[in-house]
Amino acid sequence: MSGPLLPAAHCHALRLRFRGLTARPGQWVEDVPVPAADPLAERRRAVELARPADRPREVLLRYADGLCDLIVVAPRGHLGRTALHRQAVGVSARSRETAPPTEPFPLAPPPAWGLGDDGPGTAHTVPLEHAGDEASWIVALAVTLRRYDPDTTPVIGTDRGSLTVELAASLGESKPVTASGAVLAGLLFDDSAPSAGGETETEYVPCLEPVFPLTVSVHRDSGGLRLRCVHLGGHVSTEIAAQFVRHLVHVHRQVLHRPETPLGDVELLDALETARVVALGHSPSPLAGGPVSVPEAFARIASATPDRVAVTDSGVGLTYRELDERSDRLAHGLRARGVAAGDRVGVCLERSAELVLTLLAVLKAGATYVPVDPAYPADRIAHTAQDAGLGLMVTRLPGVAGCTPVTPDELPYAPAESTLPPTDPDALAYVIYTSGSTGRPKGVEVPHRNVIALIDATRDEYGFGAADVWTWFHSSAFDFSVWEIWGCLLTGGRLVVVPYCVSREPDRFRDLLVAERVTVLSQTPSAFAQLLDVDHARIGVRLVVFGGEPLDARMLLPWLDQHPESVCRPVNMFGITETTVHVTQQTLTRKLALAATRSVGRPLPGWHLYVTDPAGRLLPPGIAGEICVGGAGVARGYLGRRDLTAQRFTADPVTGATMYRSGDLGRLRPDGHLEHLGRIDNQVKVRGFRIELDEIRSVLLEDPDVRAAAVVVRQDDPTDTATTRIDAYVVLADGHGDPGTVRRRAADILPEHMLPATVTPLDSLPLTANGKLDRTKLPAPTARHQPTRGIAPADPVDDDLTDTLTRIWTEVLGVPVGPDDDFFELGGNSLYAVRIAAALRARGLPSVRLRELYRNPTVRGTVASLGTASPSP
Amino acid sequence: MRLHGKSVLVTGAARGLGRAIALACAAEGADLTLLDICADLPGVPYPLGRPGQLEHTAALCREAGAAVLAAPADIRDLRAVREAVTRARDRFGRIDVAVNNAGIAAPSGKPVHEIDEDEWSLMIDVDLSGAWRVIREVGKDMSTRRAGSIINVASTAGLVGYRHFAGYVAAKHAVIGLTKAAALDYAPTKVRVNAVCPGSVRDDPEAEGRMLAEIARALEVPVDEHEKTFVEAQPMNTLIEPDDVAAAVVFLASDASRQITGSVLTVDGGFSAR
Repeated sequence: MSGPLLPAAHCHALRLRFRGLTARPGQWVEDVPVPAADPLAERRRAVELARPADRPREVLLRYADGLCDLIVVAPRGHLGRTALHRQAVGVSARSRETAPPTEPFPLAPPPAWGLGDDGPGTAHTVPLEHAGDEASWIVALAVTLRRYDPDTTPVIGTDRGSLTVELAASLGESKPVTASGAVLAGLLFDDSAPSAGGETETEYVPCLEPVFPLTVSVHRDSGGLRLRCVHLGGHVSTEIAAQFVRHLVHVHRQVLHRPETPLGDVELLDALETARVVALGHSPSPLAGGPVSVPEAFARIASATPDRVAVTDSGVGLTYRELDERSDRLAHGLRARGVAAGDRVGVCLERSAELVLTLLAVLKAGATYVPVDPAYPADRIAHTAQDAGLGLMVTRLPGVAGCTPVTPDELPYAPAESTLPPTDPDALAYVIYTSGSTGRPKGVEVPHRNVIALIDATRDEYGFGAADVWTWFHSSAFDFSVWEIWGCLLTGGRLVVVPYCVSREPDRFRDLLVAERVTVLSQTPSAFAQLLDVDHARIGVRLVVFGGEPLDARMLLPWLDQHPESVCRPVNMFGITETTVHVTQQTLTRKLALAATRSVGRPLPGWHLYVTDPAGRLLPPGIAGEICVGGAGVARGYLGRRDLTAQRFTADPVTGATMYRSGDLGRLRPDGHLEHLGRIDNQVKVRGFRIELDEIRSVLLEDPDVRAAAVVVRQDDPTDTATTRIDAYVVLADGHGDPGTVRRRAADILPEHMLPATVTPLDSLPLTANGKLDRTKLPAPTARHQPTRGIAPADPVDDDLTDTLTRIWTEVLGVPVGPDDDFFELGGNSLYAVRIAAALRARGLPSVRLRELYRNPTVRGTVASLGTASPSP
Repeated sequence: MRLHGKSVLVTGAARGLGRAIALACAAEGADLTLLDICADLPGVPYPLGRPGQLEHTAALCREAGAAVLAAPADIRDLRAVREAVTRARDRFGRIDVAVNNAGIAAPSGKPVHEIDEDEWSLMIDVDLSGAWRVIREVGKDMSTRRAGSIINVASTAGLVGYRHFAGYVAAKHAVIGLTKAAALDYAPTKVRVNAVCPGSVRDDPEAEGRMLAEIARALEVPVDEHEKTFVEAQPMNTLIEPDDVAAAVVFLASDASRQITGSVLTVDGGFSAR
């Protein structure tokens, strides 16, 4: 792409207002049958000011009230700002003072932060207090752009060529220097104010269309000093352009008035912008309800509906009264065994009614439950018991190192004095261990009041009540179960236990959903994908809540075919264990699913979020950064990990309370919706390119033959980054497609550096006990190619050259190479191509350009192309 | 507004269908270049558009909010057409839409063998070659800009024959041929060429149209009787209003029809469906 962008970009326009003016020869006169202030007159002026001209054009608009506007449009290269004014007032205009832009410049592609759309760009004009000089605006533009995209050196277009600003210690020391490269933003600066020629009002339009994708101009007319911004809608959306202007003006103020400011300390957001960004990250509605403990909230429900069934386990029901009374006895039993308020009690039981009773009993005893999945390996269980300092563990396992095991059967106890002391809402309800991407699992401490806030934040929105039947699908050691268990029992619903074996067999799970008439289903997308593989038409749920991992909204389409939005509401909730299960909510529609929305919606009432840069500063909509969560869901910290807690649970820059730095990458949209972009550590660099693995996965999922996909990065030789490669795993639709086709289709969309080197088909993706993708269980990738070595060449070739090339390829790629093997399918990439070229040069052979390699990606093809090329001296 | 900021050129704009088309475009936000011969033609047995009528169309368009360039021009004269188009380009920067509306219905009213050389040539020169001249002058610039819409007002006489109207019928059939050929020429550059085929259009007094009356006169039948015949011939049992034709033109001028080219849109109350 190169300039000029649009035909009208090369023109500028000037409007002068007069009271009564005689037309001069050569002017086009238009009588407008309304007064100058009429909307029709306004429209006429706007159209004339946007109409390009190949040579200067003067139009005199005469209004019904005697006022007139003289509008002069000319190519910017033909008449400058002052000459345009001279022409307008009838003084002969000479040609432009400075040379017009002639060199076309390369245009930058749309930036990710621009949120470009199909809409037309809209002009924004704001008044300025100080003009500064051109250099001050170049510096302000460069600093602002760098804050929007720290990875790209900003190249600012001007009429006299492209400039950039080298990094200096302070704003004052930053100076524009000539630069080349793709231009995204450009500046037109002219603060001259040509002398008046009897006009009462002037309006200057520095360019009729964007000269650069984001064009900022600073100029003066009768309205005073102004900054005007025009933009291409495909590069930068209207909202983002308006915001960019506010930030640019604020940065420019600092350039002028605080030149000593170090570049790193420049503020992007002024107080108003900060307030706006903070408000965008809050829920539109407040959190209703006050803090109580889980047992207190349960007691209210149990006394309101004592005879309704609370838990169904293998067809056997337990009423709220039974649940209440039996958990009381268990709680007394725990206290009789020395459990005191604030103690942590391990609970390691299979998903069952017995487990619910035990969890409730631990809470009633004033203690904190530490759930442990009995399916976990023994050393992980032992690690948890030891890390949490568990004295007592309720389990049916024979023995756990370091703590006293007790079975639920041994616990019941009915003392004479049977009241249990009330629990403080600020006390810890549970400690759940989460692995994270690195290191040993860590225990997240969550108080009662957080759990209550989660229920209060969602009860009314989703209409939870006694008519609802919830599944309990997830391990108690995964906090999605907190949502399932307490979301159900604290709103009076019936909780259906899904035994482990049923949760792993989609057809049996489907049968259970149908038989138990489940209404509220909570699922990880990975688990839900398996349910979609069986006939799901008879499932009658009214709400599906997704959580636990990123959701690709397109996977919902086959579900929505059978279960329209009016019947079943699908809701994606982005959440984190450290912020009590969920953070945001996004109701999904067919429209959003078709658009593959990455939006996870706005925060729950009581929760709020910010997107911050690595220095912890708030980022405005559009710019991706770390998602930080504050408000009612923030956990107390990591058990016994003071340093880690201090690192991740930091001071909320606005409220001063604690917020959690998630390590997730996200961006706010101008409407306040959050886009979740994956883990920050999922962003990998492959041969210098920053790559988002989720983006590759998303492309694979666009293939109609692909049902599920996973993408990982591997480096065979830790010392050689050229061995870094992307491996993809796909689950293919029944009997359709093959990995080669999937890879070829992906190659049509993905740039070479993002194309997976291997695509391995799997029957299903391996899942962790929590139903998330288990990367460690992904097999080694399928062999990258079927070598053709040993097959005789079909036609005579230059054997010496073929042998040499084959040897070089084999050496560089580290795999056996046949004459017709595809370089890229052998794992070749641009770095390897450079090495091959170097090896050829070292042997005095003509080197092969990368472009040639793309055209002829085989040894045979390369030999043929070298043979036809004219010999180089 | 569907034509906001577009520059539209209409021929035969002094009155009748041309006036209705110009007004409809103005109401949709277009600016207009209005062409008309503004003079009588020897051999045409009825008066053609007058300068005052063209000015009135311009005034009505301005009231509707349009900027207007009135450019009297005879479409039989290539240089005159070129001059008008150049002026329109100077004024509006470009021409987005050209509507070939100008045409004559008479001399007619006799069998083929009675038409003389001059009568035949005149009919072809105005109704067919006039449209070609305008396309010739606007087409190149539209192609360069890769945008533009050309609309040729043909007639149901471009689809079927009418007794004693051989010249008119031949010219209008040819206009449809020209439409299709030009559509193919310009399709690679996104410039569109379409035809509209009105049936019998009522002579609206406000538009000062007189086509129907003149056809009746050529056939030597009273206007009332002629109207009745045509109302009966059009299955929807009514005459076409100029605004109905203008609405079809606006659609073909607007981006709503951006994939439509080489098409023939009939506005004839079902006449050609028989």
